[in-house]
Amino acid sequence: MLSKEDRILSWYKIPKSSRILLIATTLIFIFLTPNLAEGYESTWNKIEIDSTNDYNAAVIDSNEDAWIFGDKGIIIHGEKLTNWSIIDSPTNEDILTADSNDYMVAAAGTNGTVIYKEVLSNEWIKKSIDAQTKINSIAINNMNEIIIVTDFGGIQILREGEWSEIDSLTLEDLYHITFENERGLISGSSGLILGSEDNGLTWETRETPETISESEIISIGYYKTNRAYAITSDGQILKSTQEALTTTVGYSWSIKEIESENYSTTLNVNLTSLEILSTTKILLTGENGYVALSKDGGNIVTPQLFPDGFDNQKINDVAMINAFRGIIVGNEGNIFYTENGGENNPVGFEVVDFNDFNEFVDFTKDNLLEGLKATMKIVLIGILLGFFLGIVLAMCKTAPTTLKQMIESDLEKTLILFWLVIPVSILSTRGSGIGIGIFTFLAIIGVTILVDYYINKNKTETEGFLGILIPNNHRNKVIKILGLSLLIGIPISEEWGFEGGAGLIYSALNNFHDFQLGSDTPKLSAQLGYIFAPIGDPIAFFRLIIGIGLTYLGILFITANGSYSKKRFFAGKLFLLIIVWSIILTELFIGFNLNNFNLSIASLMKYLFFLGMGLFMTRRIIPELSWKNLDPNEFNITIDPWKLRPLNSLATLYTDFFRNTPLLVQFMFIHFGIQLGKHIQNIGIDVTNDLTIISSYLGPLDSLFAPMIDYVSDSLFGPGKRSYLSAIFALGLNSAAYQCETIRGAIAAIPSGQMEAGRSIGLTYMGTMRLIILPQAIRICIPPLGNEMVNLVLNSSLASVIAYTELTRQGKLVVAITFQIFWTWGMVMIAYFVVTWTLALLLRRLEEKTRIPGLGISGGN
Amino acid sequence: MEDEVLIIENLEKIYAGGVHAVRGVSFKVRKGESVAIIGSSGSGKSTVLRCINRLIEPTMGTIKLNEEVINNPLADVNEIRSKIGMVFQSFELFSHLKVLENITLGLRYVRGMNKEDAEKIALEVLERVDMLDRIDAYPGNLSGGQKQRVAIARSLAMHPEVILFDEPTSALDPELIGSVLQTIRGLADEGMTMVIVTHEINFARDVADRIIYMDKGIIAEEGPSDIIENPKTERLKEFLSAMDDE
Repeated sequence: MLSKEDRILSWYKIPKSSRILLIATTLIFIFLTPNLAEGYESTWNKIEIDSTNDYNAAVIDSNEDAWIFGDKGIIIHGEKLTNWSIIDSPTNEDILTADSNDYMVAAAGTNGTVIYKEVLSNEWIKKSIDAQTKINSIAINNMNEIIIVTDFGGIQILREGEWSEIDSLTLEDLYHITFENERGLISGSSGLILGSEDNGLTWETRETPETISESEIISIGYYKTNRAYAITSDGQILKSTQEALTTTVGYSWSIKEIESENYSTTLNVNLTSLEILSTTKILLTGENGYVALSKDGGNIVTPQLFPDGFDNQKINDVAMINAFRGIIVGNEGNIFYTENGGENNPVGFEVVDFNDFNEFVDFTKDNLLEGLKATMKIVLIGILLGFFLGIVLAMCKTAPTTLKQMIESDLEKTLILFWLVIPVSILSTRGSGIGIGIFTFLAIIGVTILVDYYINKNKTETEGFLGILIPNNHRNKVIKILGLSLLIGIPISEEWGFEGGAGLIYSALNNFHDFQLGSDTPKLSAQLGYIFAPIGDPIAFFRLIIGIGLTYLGILFITANGSYSKKRFFAGKLFLLIIVWSIILTELFIGFNLNNFNLSIASLMKYLFFLGMGLFMTRRIIPELSWKNLDPNEFNITIDPWKLRPLNSLATLYTDFFRNTPLLVQFMFIHFGIQLGKHIQNIGIDVTNDLTIISSYLGPLDSLFAPMIDYVSDSLFGPGKRSYLSAIFALGLNSAAYQCETIRGAIAAIPSGQMEAGRSIGLTYMGTMRLIILPQAIRICIPPLGNEMVNLVLNSSLASVIAYTELTRQGKLVVAITFQIFWTWGMVMIAYFVVTWTLALLLRRLEEKTRIPGLGISGGN
Repeated sequence: MEDEVLIIENLEKIYAGGVHAVRGVSFKVRKGESVAIIGSSGSGKSTVLRCINRLIEPTMGTIKLNEEVINNPLADVNEIRSKIGMVFQSFELFSHLKVLENITLGLRYVRGMNKEDAEKIALEVLERVDMLDRIDAYPGNLSGGQKQRVAIARSLAMHPEVILFDEPTSALDPELIGSVLQTIRGLADEGMTMVIVTHEINFARDVADRIIYMDKGIIAEEGPSDIIENPKTERLKEFLSAMDDE
């Protein structure tokens, strides 16, 4: 083996500063570069017409001709959406609204003006209403009757040439009316929606969510017969679907939560109209040149680009022939036409022939590179998170601190933990959420350890923890008080008090009982439904676990009497036997009916099985029972409750959870169930906002820091990063559980003499671990950890189910576009192989580097 | 008395499972004295030694180091252990560190010294055990006798009040034993307080001021080193004759 300095490609030949630079640039490249230049171009083409009037409404009639109406009565005809011309108009009033059906086109505007024409004719007929009011919206029903709505709840219908009023039973302003067959919907101010089932003759109020009762619903529309949408002027989208087969759409409305910039229910845009292109695709227009497309029913709303020269005028209406072809019209003579549903096109979009391998590779390699970068991002952080958390867990599992030690030698530390650290953390969780709570917990622990270190630094005789030392004669009393406080809590007040163990168990069990998951019989098998109670109320489940822990500690401390040794339970085994047999007997004989007793094989086997279990358990509990010398002491149980190691138990809880559920399910639970990504993103955004505010106080430095903060925050917490954050945590936490066991095995392989030798020179347990055991153990656990890391890289492909575009998901997307299944997946396989193999090589190097001369069998080269 | 470094009173140890290894052992060690504990396997001598620096917690009894009771729960175990040195039968050197680093580890991380001062003391101590030529070697490259001498140096460097030796030469072959015994003899001559558990009867006789013979968990006979020549109790006579026959 060449020595370090002799090798050609030696890491050590590179000067130290360059090494740091290399590592830093690699990290920056992986984590902070933006994704491939996402250049897009607009697919809206401006239609040039010699007019700068404001256009207010547009419709497309059954001939696929477009009709645009605007201020001062201007009408523009777009024949087949290609030949555009201004038409003579029968009015000079501003036309504000229009509608069309198979038979006619109608429009209306200020001063009660209503004009209409049959599709086949060229003549516009004016038939205004008597009043001089502004007509807000016009619609044509199934019977080709025109209906208009105005402010103050006015509805009028043109029937047989005459206008008549319809009672709307409201005085709210009505903004929009629309029909689908004989069903109609009207939207208005103060969150009003009216519905009609009889072509508009009668109207009744429909229920809308409480939160929009102040909003103006300015537009409403059907999409076929099973879905309807509405928008409010302040940017909220409402949706109505068919609730069941019996109800029809339009009866119940709910607000769509929009996953756009502010993660709220409003777009914070003044919307002007909405057009439904398909069951889930909607186009929205609004002030300031706002045109947005949502392809999933309003979940993600993406604003679209306009061609150069557009000055962000207000867009007033949209009319589409189908999901792709249509126009939008706005103020100052803006008309735009699209053939792509308005959706932005990526720049340089060319038609690629995917059957040619060269072109295929050209197209896919960018996507796959993106996917690779994304995979590396989660893998690296997953490995680091898993490793460090794994070490912490391994230390917890091998920690020798028993309850006896906590109470005897470390009483002061235990008191501070239970009477200071935990209550303060709980209060901060109540006040500011769990993130702050965890932070407070760690911070206080860190601070107390530091303070204690400084106080006790040079003292030979410890003066307790933080300088508090409880004198000997009071120790037992204090322990009992501690136990009592754990059991019954600290009942100060509703806001500032803490429930004790007993209270927590009681309230949690009550909550579970409310679910009624079991039946009323005393049989154990009937109550098995309660296994699922933790999902019904997770908070109650945590309280139950914590309650059990606190009660155990509380009762133990209260009964502490200075000698921390085994406890003997008189006739304990007898008690156990009684429990076992009562379970079996209730199982077999409750609900037992002599008439129904059937002697089938199944039921016979059931009886035999239970009886057999009973005898087996009996034999296990009292193995050496001899009826000749019956010694009552035979039935005693001795346990040592002080032997419990709390850190060990906590760590075991963690690893048991993560090692006994599949990684795929953990991904979905963490991302979709707990929505960890969303919560961390919110915390991250809050922190970024705070940092930005702080930075703004720094004057000239602000222009340096602010863009840096923004950039880092965007790469970590920006939109779409939720699945990234969830993936990191799912991978890292799962890996930690496995790495913990590996590291623990490695620690156990170090001879105990090393720990003894370290402690004999006066090092603390942690010190020996850090300086002596862990350095040797890490060397041992490198091969199995390498295994674990390879697993991590390959398991990262599971992140594709939470829509994180790493390599596998990119593969799926590429297959969807190119249909080249073999090539695509082949490339993905090669990519994974290269990554994993490089990792394996690196680990082999690491193993060489950390070899201790003279120790261990190293095998071949 | 002021110069009694170590006072052991009524030490008892019952292991889990009921093995009553030590059944009431009491003795004192004065400053500068070297005490050898001999006895057959299973007599409890290693247990007694390990109870002194609390590697094993005694079930009952008191251990005092310089008038201070060290086996109560409130005492700072680490502080105590840094004042008591221990040399193990299996050497227990830190195999991932070089010889010099093995010695300086305790000085730097327990006594808080900086690297230069620690190394100075380490070199002094290594000179005393005659290991200066191998300070950059790893323990894996040393012979048994060298390893044990480094282990002794490691304990010496901490300037302990007393050094405990747990069968220091039992894992060495006769040729290497000599160098280790010479080192220990040198320490005794310099006046280091020592408690040595050993199988080497002759060594015990030459070096130790006092010999304690343990049998089945109690002290069967105790006295100056000439009890080897003139054992007073039957059990010691039997033990010595058995050892002589080998």
